[in-house]
Amino acid sequence: MAPTTHSLRPLSCWKTIFRHTRLQKAATRLLTTQAQPKRTFEESKLIAPRRKSNFKILGPPPALKFKEPIKDVTNAQLAILDPTNARSTLFSKTNPEAAHVGDILLVRLKTGDPFAGVCINIRRRGIDTGILLRNELTRIGVEMWFKIYSPNVEGIEVVQRKEKRARRARLTYMRKPKHDMGSVQNIVLAYQRSRGALRGSGGAGTLGKDELKGGKRKVKGKGKR
Amino acid sequence: MAPKLPISWAQLPPTFLLPDTFLPLIAKRGVKYGWTTAPKRGKPNRFNQQTAGLPTLLQSPAAALARKARTLPLRTGLLAIKKGMTALYDPETGVRTPCTVVQLDRVQVVAHKTREKNGYFAVQIGAGSKEPGNVTRPLLGHFSGAGVSPKRHLSEFRVLNSAGLLKIGETIGPEWFLEGQFVDTRSNSRGMGFEGGMKRHNWKGQPASHGNSLAHRLMGSSGPSQGAGSRVHPGKKMPGRMGGHQVTQQNLKVLKVDAEKGILVLNGAVSGPKGCVVKIQDAIKKPWPTIPAAVEDVKEALHATA
Repeated sequence: MAPTTHSLRPLSCWKTIFRHTRLQKAATRLLTTQAQPKRTFEESKLIAPRRKSNFKILGPPPALKFKEPIKDVTNAQLAILDPTNARSTLFSKTNPEAAHVGDILLVRLKTGDPFAGVCINIRRRGIDTGILLRNELTRIGVEMWFKIYSPNVEGIEVVQRKEKRARRARLTYMRKPKHDMGSVQNIVLAYQRSRGALRGSGGAGTLGKDELKGGKRKVKGKGKR
Repeated sequence: MAPKLPISWAQLPPTFLLPDTFLPLIAKRGVKYGWTTAPKRGKPNRFNQQTAGLPTLLQSPAAALARKARTLPLRTGLLAIKKGMTALYDPETGVRTPCTVVQLDRVQVVAHKTREKNGYFAVQIGAGSKEPGNVTRPLLGHFSGAGVSPKRHLSEFRVLNSAGLLKIGETIGPEWFLEGQFVDTRSNSRGMGFEGGMKRHNWKGQPASHGNSLAHRLMGSSGPSQGAGSRVHPGKKMPGRMGGHQVTQQNLKVLKVDAEKGILVLNGAVSGPKGCVVKIQDAIKKPWPTIPAAVEDVKEALHATA
């Protein structure tokens, strides 16, 4: 049933009026809609020919194959500083015999006296890998950083291993009085004596004495500083 | 409103009574389509020529170039990508030198800027590569005109004169710099975001106690009070965006040059994160490096001998 339109008050019944016109509009649209044949690709090209680029786009030259130059530089340095790969294996994570935090290490230097102490931190940074050793000299706690690949470091020896694996990566708690190991001088001296004995009775014994002397001198030297 | 008086009692007689010379200047030549097609007038400061007996202008383009003559490099620089930092040890002395490794990626000369056309001499350098589909057509034309592939990074390097304009399309390698020479680097520093005054301007902050409440890192007063204007003076340092701006590092020594790997090892630190673009040019505060004969000349000589 067609809705009745109120001729006197059209403002109140716009909806009904528009419903009618809407239907009409739809009808006319249906009548006038005409299907056009779809243009083929060739025809569309004829109507609007694609502008041909008159310049040549060049391909990029081949890229360099060296994607990790930092590694290259590091490896080149390691080949010079650590040709036998001894230092790398000593601090390698894959090596079960490697030095760990908590071990007592002895660092022999080219210039100056050797330094020994508990390793409380290993900072692995490629060529900049360093270790932090803690000891007590003249009853004062001393910590020293050593770069393991530095040419000034002649050798690094493991004096004593920690009997139980440390459960921390950095043993900073060893700075607290409760956990401080104190001086490791006696352990190092004992180690050096045994090494001297192992090396043989001949010249090695004197060498051991020299080392001992060195150790003593070191204490004095550090005290003066 | 008062009646408008005549502008001048000595007004000119009607134009038809005047000779041609008194007529207002109206452009007759070169007027077409209603506007002038005559060449542009000369620059207004042309009156101040050497012959005019007046002091030479200090704000002219020529004066600006003369001022820069001492500090403009003789040859172009190049673009590199920062790859990170490491250290070099001297096996003899044991001295450790911290260094930055930068790598060159298909660095080519793309365009020139000349005094005649642009007012200064510069070399436009492109580096890296870009998918042509991601480059706009005007830029594609620019690259193809130079005979180079689309580049990811473009930068200009000013040079002193036309002698410093390297041939367009020429590839530059790290051997452009010599081992031991000094360079300046420019790169955008790490962006820190919106930072407080303590970090951004190295302020001290405020005491932790003595009645301080919630104001330990505040900037404090931002200016004087009544009498001084009761306002914040322009340029007052305040919290805000920190980093992400260009930082120049001067006089970095070139420690190593590896043409095969395309790397340069520079002494010390270069601002910016890994992977950032670094502009490298000869140091302006050191004597210009003495570069061996141009590569082309050497090539010819080699061909002649071979």
